[in-house]
Formats: sequence, C-alpha cells, structure tokens
Amino acid sequence: MTERHLGVIEGVGRQARVGRPPFDPELRAGLAIVGGMFPPTVTSELIDFMRVSYAGPPLDTLIGGRSIRCEDRVFEGYEGHALTASVFRHERASGRRPGILFVHSGGMMFGDRFSGLDRMIDFVELLGVVLVSIEYRLAPEHRDPYPREDVYAALEWMASNAESLGVRLDRLLIAGASAGGGLAAGAALAARDRGGPRLCGQLLDYPMLDDRGITKSTRQFDGIGVWDRVSNETGWSALLGDARGGPDVSAYAAPARATRLHDLPPAFLDVGSAEIFRDETVAYADALWNAGGDAELHVWPGGFHAFDIFAPHTALSRGMIATRRAWMSRVLGD
Amino acid sequence: MQELLARLKALDPNASLALRIIACFDELVRGGVNIHGLLGAAASLAGCVAGYAGQPSARTMRVAPSGEILKDRGTATRDCALEADGMTVWLERDGPAHVNDRMILERLALALAVRSGHRAEDPLRRLGDLLDAGVDVSARRAIAAKLGLAPQLKYRVASLPLFATWRQHRELLEDVVHSPFGPLHVCVLRAEVKTIDASPCGIGVATGIDDLHRSFSTALVSLRLCAVPNVPVVVADDYGGLVDLLAQCSIDRPLLDAEELESVMQHPWAAQTLDALLRSASVRDASRIAGVHHSTMQARLETMRDLLSFDPMDGIGRTRVGLAFLAWRIRHSTALDLPPPGNR
Repeated sequence: MTERHLGVIEGVGRQARVGRPPFDPELRAGLAIVGGMFPPTVTSELIDFMRVSYAGPPLDTLIGGRSIRCEDRVFEGYEGHALTASVFRHERASGRRPGILFVHSGGMMFGDRFSGLDRMIDFVELLGVVLVSIEYRLAPEHRDPYPREDVYAALEWMASNAESLGVRLDRLLIAGASAGGGLAAGAALAARDRGGPRLCGQLLDYPMLDDRGITKSTRQFDGIGVWDRVSNETGWSALLGDARGGPDVSAYAAPARATRLHDLPPAFLDVGSAEIFRDETVAYADALWNAGGDAELHVWPGGFHAFDIFAPHTALSRGMIATRRAWMSRVLGD
Repeated sequence: MQELLARLKALDPNASLALRIIACFDELVRGGVNIHGLLGAAASLAGCVAGYAGQPSARTMRVAPSGEILKDRGTATRDCALEADGMTVWLERDGPAHVNDRMILERLALALAVRSGHRAEDPLRRLGDLLDAGVDVSARRAIAAKLGLAPQLKYRVASLPLFATWRQHRELLEDVVHSPFGPLHVCVLRAEVKTIDASPCGIGVATGIDDLHRSFSTALVSLRLCAVPNVPVVVADDYGGLVDLLAQCSIDRPLLDAEELESVMQHPWAAQTLDALLRSASVRDASRIAGVHHSTMQARLETMRDLLSFDPMDGIGRTRVGLAFLAWRIRHSTALDLPPPGNR
C-alpha cells in the first residue's frame, strides 16, 4: 500500500524522515514482538519500569540443565563497599582456567549481573572459562565514578584472588555489553594507567562509549528501535549529571574521550549498523588501530542495539554470536 | 522470543499477542526472509522445534528455538501440526499445545507458501487488499463478498496501533494491515457503529465497498488526531470534509498554513488556546473555555496575528487556522508511539 493512498502528513522534529540504514527483515519482525518490552525511548521516568522489565532471568533459567556451577562471592567495590559477584565454572573444571570479568548492560541505570548473561555463560561450557559477573552500583543513585570504580575494584579483586577463584592470570579478559562495554573499555584504560591487572583482551559488545551524543548514528535513531538518542541522554545524564557533554568527563567513564589509546589489550568490537552506537564503536576501533593497537571490528548490517539478546534465533544474531565465539576461542581457548 | 512474549503478557495482560504474531510473520514475508528464517521465527516464538515437510520434493527442515538447523529427522509426535498447500508444518512440543500455537502454525504455513512460490498472496490478507485503492475494484468486490460484506451497505474502517488498550474485544472483522507507520490493526464496522472499546482508535467515514480505502485513510487521520488519555477515540464524521481533505495531503504536498503555524505553536499556550478558539463563537467564549482572562486571550491573539500572514479570527482566516491546527496535531501526533508502559 503506497503512502500516496494513505495521504499521510510527514512529521517534523522527532518524527521527521531521516535517512538511516533499514533494519534487517528478521529483526524488524522481532521488533513487532519486542515492542513495548523495551521502549525505544527511555526517559528518567521509566527507570523504575526498566528495572523490573530488564531484570536478569532467575539463575535456574540460566544454568538449569547445563554442566555449570555458580557460587556467589562478595568483593569490595569502590570505597570498600561490599558487592556481589557470581562466579560460574564448569562442573568438571580443575586447576586454573582462563577468566572473564563480565560487566552487564542496562544503560548505567538498570540490569543486574544476570542480565544478558546467556551468551557469556556459553563460554563456561565452550572454553571452560571461569566467568565472574558483578553487581556494580547504578546511576542515578550512584553517579560517576561509582559504576566504573566498582568495575575496576572487581578487576583488581579478581586478579588478587586468582588462586582461590581458579583463574589464570595470563588469560584474564574483561567483557561488557552496551553500558557494560563502555565500563569494560574504561577499566582497560584504567588498568593500563594504574599499573593494574594485565588483560589478554577486551570484548566490547555494542559499547556505550561517548557521552557527547555528537555522532551521525545518534541522530539517525531517535524514537525508533532499541535504545535511541533520548535513552542515551537519559543514561549519560544519570551517570554524569550536568557534566554530560562538558569538558570534565573522565575517559574511564566515556572512553570515546580517551586520547591515548596505546598499550591496550587486543579488542573485539561488534555493533549493528542500525543503532546509535555504530559510529562511536567504529571510531574507537579506528582509534585503537591508529595507536598501533590490535582490534577486530564487526558492523552487522541492519542490526539494532543488542539484537543478539532480543532475537538470538535470527541469521544476523547467529553470525554475530559465532564470530564473537571465534575470537574468544583464539584469545582465551586452550 | 517466547520468553519475551511471556514477559510482555505479564507486563501488559491486555496485549494482543496474536496480532503481534501476525505482524511478525508479515514482516518476514515482506522482507523476503528464507525458509530457515521463517522456521526459526516460529521456533523462537513457540519455544520449541519447528519443522516443515514440503512436497513433492519431500524436503524437510527442522529448526530449534536458537535458530540452528537440526540434522536428525526428529522423533517428536506431531500432534501440533497443520497441513496446507501440500506441505506439513509442525511444532515439536512436549505436553499440551499452547494458546498461540495454532496462530503460529497458520502464519508459518502461509509464509512458507509465499516463499516457496505456491502462493502469490496471503489469502488471509484480504482485508489489506480490500482497503487498497491500487487493487482492481472487481477484485475488491470479490473479497468483500467472501468476507460477507453486503454490496448495498455502508461500512467504516477503524484503525488502531497493535498496542491499543482494549476494554472489551468483541468478535470483529479485523486484520493487521501495513501502513507507512508500520503494521496497524484495522477492523471493518457496520456504518451505524461509531464507537469501539479501545484506545487510541480512529474511526473512518462510512463508505460503500468500492470506497473503503477512503474510509481507511480517514480512519488513519482520525487515529493520529487521538491523544490518550484526553482524546481516546476520534470519529472522522466529527470533522467531515476536513478529515477527508487532510487525508489527501501528502509528504510531497504539505499544507501551506501548517508550516506557518509552527511558529505560533512554539508558545506553550498555543495548543490549548487554538483548541478553545476553534470550539467557540467569540473571543469571550474562548477565554472561558481556555480558563484565561479576556485580556490574556486578546494578547495571545495579537501574538498569533504577528506570527501569521493572516488574521486567524477573520472570516476565511478562521477556517485556515482551524485546518492548519488539525494538520499540526497530526504532524506532532504521538498516537502511534508506544506509550510509556507504566501508563497503560
């Protein structure tokens, strides 16, 4: 049915027609289902809703029927605050194994250590890794530097307790998705600058890196898809308050701000072409290469934000998951 | 996606999951997604293996909810199966069928038939054709007859977003139809029915079978005039020729005065003031409706006169500003935006 027959009146402002890559057809079909679960535009009024809607699945759902054990440990976060880490390992694991510190998604404001964990837990079975997923304190109740310093404290805790956790120090990797991807990249920068634990890799899934909202892709996805321009502003404002977009934002909070990108662990970055984080992810990979670093970048055509979590059955998601696994296997596998 | 559907139902018990399933398969067919992808979507929606056996090549494929193709032929019972167009589709579910299984299989079978070239079109998608002026009128008449619509009677089309809130969902002639705004829920009502227990909802003008596309386009304009919770339902009849006119505006030909009105609408008082002015016979009446002092209303009118190239209170100016205001409301409509979940 053509638009002419319907006689629509084109919107202005937020509804205005903007050239943007179309969503992949399978993912568009997925959006017909997801619509309403994860509103495209998350404002601060929706934080409470999102904390319910985006809560991680129960532990049973995650590891039921799998050869995985989970134990909860307590670590000291920023300023010595007690925080929880869930440690997942293979039932038959023995000796010290490669370790992953995972930082969950949720726009800095919601999510928990079980959110979006399915694909990470796969590595426990696939590669026999020890997976540590942490609670870090969330904005706006806990603004910068709490989230990032909680993550950094977890990294130090994991390294200094490597023996009791059964983790090999020569194969320690940090991983994060979305907001967690930004925090993971920030922790890698901080570990370099502070002489902290040596990382063998940083896995940055569609990372939230730039508080300035200046990219073309940020403007392209406004009011549509998953996690739009306004949602991103909500997240960064929750984290940084009035400092958002200003001159005083730390590169550990917003790694797109980093100007020195040398001597960082090998990076894997993946992102959809149809999401706001496309440009900042591509720019970060580019900056790593320009600094002489090792980075692998994949831009999945027509992918909206975190499409592998919302629609894992699609061809695009399976491609993303398999490609990520191949890199993880090279970096962490025996 | 099965888990997402369950969560969605928990968050919003009124959500129409069947419509979402229809919309999901529509998008897959429109996007030219292959058989593997179609089975993957079905499996993901159902949360169990989905399979199909085609004829005459006896091609079989089974796909897991993860989207992986399964190599073996499977041993599951095929209680949950459907035969159509010379093929069989099934869900390998342990235990009793789920409420949406039938819908998933029906839509899967149709999508597979289109993909395999057995069908050029979706036989259940007749409502979309009925409302499309691009479809030959004799074909539309034939569809209407099949749907039990009488050629001598008039009908109205109601349009709603898939996420509309229903207080009571009666048995209706309904379907999901594509629009530039994505999939929309449409219902065909008898001419005398001018209400529907759902919001937001636009109800089009009554027309004969041959002109149902006009009813649909006025329904779409009416839907976009909705503003939940204050304006849950708009009936095109209330605006008559104005809605008809607005339905004929297009992206290529935006309304002249609507552009000009944008400067007025920058004022926070503008929408309420214009609404009051258009619903009253005098400035004094308008002040009362808007709940502001007469002098305040006069001052606002002055501001409007300064910003517009015409006097909004003078003769034809009233009509111009009235039409432009409706166009502005449609332009800035949020009726098709998903409402914040907590507010439903």
